[in-house]
Amino acid sequence: MWKPVHLFAFKKKFDFLGQRKAALILSTLINIVSILGVVFVGLNFGIDFKGGIAIQARAKQGVAQLDTLRSIVGGLGVGEVSLQEFGEASTVLIRVQRQDGSPQCVAGAQRVMQKRAGAGWQVKPGPAGTGDVELTSPAALDGAGWRDAASRVGLTIVERQLPRGTTAMAKIDMTPEQRAEWCQQVAIKLVEDAIGNNYELRGTESVGPKIGDELMTSGIWAVLATMAAIVVYVWFRYEWQFGVGALIAMLHDVISTLGIFVLLQLDFSLTALAAVLTIAGYSINDTVVIFDRVRENMRRYKKLGLVELLNLSINETLSRTLMTSGTVFVAVSALVLFGGPVLYSFSVAMLWGVIVGTYSSVWVACAGLVYLGLRADQLRPADEEKTDKAKP
Amino acid sequence: MLNLPRWQTIVIIAITVLSGLFALPNVLPNSVLEVLPHWYSQSRIGLGLDLRGGAHFLLEADLRSVLTERLTNLSDSVRGELRKQQVPFKDVTVEPGRALVVTLRDEAQRTKAIEAIRVVDPTLAMSGAGDTIRVAYSDQELFRRKKEVIDQSIEILRRRVDETGTLEPTITRQGDERILLQVPGIKDTTDLKRKINQTAKLTFHLVNEDVAAAGANIPATLPPSTFLVPTREGMLDLRRSNPKAWEDIQAANPRLSPEQVCRRYQPQCLPVLKRVVVGGEDLDDSKATFDQQQGSRPIISFTFNTAGGRAFCAATRANIGKRLAIQLDGEIISAPVVQGAICGGSGIITGSFTPQQTQEQALLLRSGALPATLTIIQESTVGADLGADAIRAGTVAAIVGTVLVALVMFVAYGPVFGGFANLAMLVNLLLVFAGMSILGASLTLPGMAGLVLTVGMAVDSNVLIYERVREEKALGRSAFSSIATGYERAMSAIIDANLTTLIAAVLLFGFGSGPIRGFATTLSLGLLTSMFSSTIFTRMLLSVWVRWRRPTELLI
Repeated sequence: MWKPVHLFAFKKKFDFLGQRKAALILSTLINIVSILGVVFVGLNFGIDFKGGIAIQARAKQGVAQLDTLRSIVGGLGVGEVSLQEFGEASTVLIRVQRQDGSPQCVAGAQRVMQKRAGAGWQVKPGPAGTGDVELTSPAALDGAGWRDAASRVGLTIVERQLPRGTTAMAKIDMTPEQRAEWCQQVAIKLVEDAIGNNYELRGTESVGPKIGDELMTSGIWAVLATMAAIVVYVWFRYEWQFGVGALIAMLHDVISTLGIFVLLQLDFSLTALAAVLTIAGYSINDTVVIFDRVRENMRRYKKLGLVELLNLSINETLSRTLMTSGTVFVAVSALVLFGGPVLYSFSVAMLWGVIVGTYSSVWVACAGLVYLGLRADQLRPADEEKTDKAKP
Repeated sequence: MLNLPRWQTIVIIAITVLSGLFALPNVLPNSVLEVLPHWYSQSRIGLGLDLRGGAHFLLEADLRSVLTERLTNLSDSVRGELRKQQVPFKDVTVEPGRALVVTLRDEAQRTKAIEAIRVVDPTLAMSGAGDTIRVAYSDQELFRRKKEVIDQSIEILRRRVDETGTLEPTITRQGDERILLQVPGIKDTTDLKRKINQTAKLTFHLVNEDVAAAGANIPATLPPSTFLVPTREGMLDLRRSNPKAWEDIQAANPRLSPEQVCRRYQPQCLPVLKRVVVGGEDLDDSKATFDQQQGSRPIISFTFNTAGGRAFCAATRANIGKRLAIQLDGEIISAPVVQGAICGGSGIITGSFTPQQTQEQALLLRSGALPATLTIIQESTVGADLGADAIRAGTVAAIVGTVLVALVMFVAYGPVFGGFANLAMLVNLLLVFAGMSILGASLTLPGMAGLVLTVGMAVDSNVLIYERVREEKALGRSAFSSIATGYERAMSAIIDANLTTLIAAVLLFGFGSGPIRGFATTLSLGLLTSMFSSTIFTRMLLSVWVRWRRPTELLI
């Protein structure tokens, strides 16, 4: 049997808050740079929020030819396209911007039709201001024929919009918004047709314009609601200075995490948002551990100055602060190293969140208490009573 | 504090064992599961589509167009009724998706006009002043119609997507106008997408009573005007008695005609005239209701648009006493006897129905009526091998993470305390799996990330306790007293730390969808259960250990 190793037992007592000015400057700088980065460089929004198409393709033979693929997909007329290697050299993630239902997309639909249903097909946009599309077949078709043609192309054509008699032309009525969603499907088909011979399509994701906008709005609300709920909780449990200190630390962590997303140009998807929310929640973890001790020491050492008292509390809780962060750090490292490409953005963000959360507990939350003018004699009477009873 | 009453120890052990039992079906082989009772073997954690592979579609129904179409039909009926009651009017116009506006020639005729419109549909809400009357569906009616359209679309999707009975699609309503369609294990979605907007084909035909009177189910010869169509009951019987034949019919390519099905497999069939009396596109609405006159029997009522109503009127007037077969997708769902001429666009089907049967029949009828256009607004297709890759990556990360955290705890707190914390971590994983099995939650890739995170966070509570124990020990307390005080003093920080993260996880669950919900589920479950495993469970272990070993000095 072995003896426990006191991993973070330091003999020396550190003067953490002696560096509070330097930390204040550093934190402010990091946050300003992060905000500037988000505003001027921008987050690399994934299709969850921006809308668009993401296709994961793997070369049937050898490695993925990114340059060739870029020129092929870029020339399809589906707007902005970005490609990146995904996990391994043979796999590539193709991202296509969200489709706006432009006449160019209708021309694309014609190419899909001609490739899949025969050269004589034509697809034309209807009158301007509507989203209508006119299909012309090389030969007159009845209802079943139209359905069959549509099925071979794989475009969802609504059956009731097809002509009832036998004709060579069908007018599909759509609103411009519906056509934009329809064009997402057209763009997927175009990419499939263009690269399907040499690449195996492993997964496709498409988010239409409508859903993208909705997710963006509700994502912002989710972040705000989470932060508000946590602040209210801390405010109920502690004196207001603690609540404000925790809030500033949390904002610091969330903003600097966004900065990391900008700096590393990580994909900001729904999973990334999950990371931001989790960091907001986890940011408080170390902070409350220290605050708990600060409150306890405020009652015990009524004569001690605030900075000394805070330094004492931070030093006393230092080993547990580092240990709790350390275990989460170790677990998240495993995710970064082995979790695969899909979780990569999430894991890197979480890793940063663990580090910055520890830093901010000491140099943002506690330093904040100094600037907020917490006084040792201002404990609430109710808190005093509770401590007296709890003392053995 | 450390001296637990015996009943508490028993409860703690019971919870642990029970969670083990609930998590067990997830790892048992199928051969064992088959022997076990259904309710037990069924409570397993499903895999999300991102791990299992499959397709996920979010569809939006175009309710506005459907409503406009219905209003257009309504405007025809209103015009007809106003003419019949001799109320002069300038115009009846449709405000798309909203209401009808009736403009009268004479303001004085307003009351009479309102009465006439009430004859068409008594539930209509009317407003406006002077010579204009704004006619709209009441909120209640609007709500009912919207719900009906979505139900109808879901029913059509279910019939279309699962024609062969081999897929296991999940089709659910999402909010007011959306439908979520999930099909696990499907590779090629081209065919699936084609089916999404295919309507069910509904037609009304007269039964050829001369042929039917001859008695044979499948007559050898038929007049050229007549063909055979299997009845729905007949097909259901066939599916029960001869599943192989049923599968063959579904898989046949090209599809068998109803007559071929009748001749080859001989289910119960009816000879019907080929001429279509009226088609589903002219059917406006159909609902299950109760007969007010005859002791409130369950009946099905239906409404046609003007063109359909006229054709139906002519056909029923000429064929009283004969049966009218209602064919949906090559099956006769019902063949009621024409009791009298049905004019005016609406009628009822009576019979010895249960309320449930009328609901089903009305839904079947509606699924042949004009449907709402479904637009794919979100799509996600994951190949099976991509899912397998994700499972592999997630599993490796989870195992490596757990082992590393366990190592750190062993090194930092020694074999006893570290061991107890690690045991608690494993119990916590067991509790999460049990919780997910009971809730029927799905495991997704982000969910696996949540598990890894939970592993790292769950031992935090033990760290807080053990550090406090070390401090109390340094103050010179006895082994027993330092452990007891350590638990007591660490509690408030543990609760605060877990609750703040839990707040974030729960809000994420409310906001997120799909895979992200999986993350929120494992994280919040993990945090909740860790409050049990890291504090109550380890305290029990330590109290037993302290009483057994009676240590004079703690190795921590």
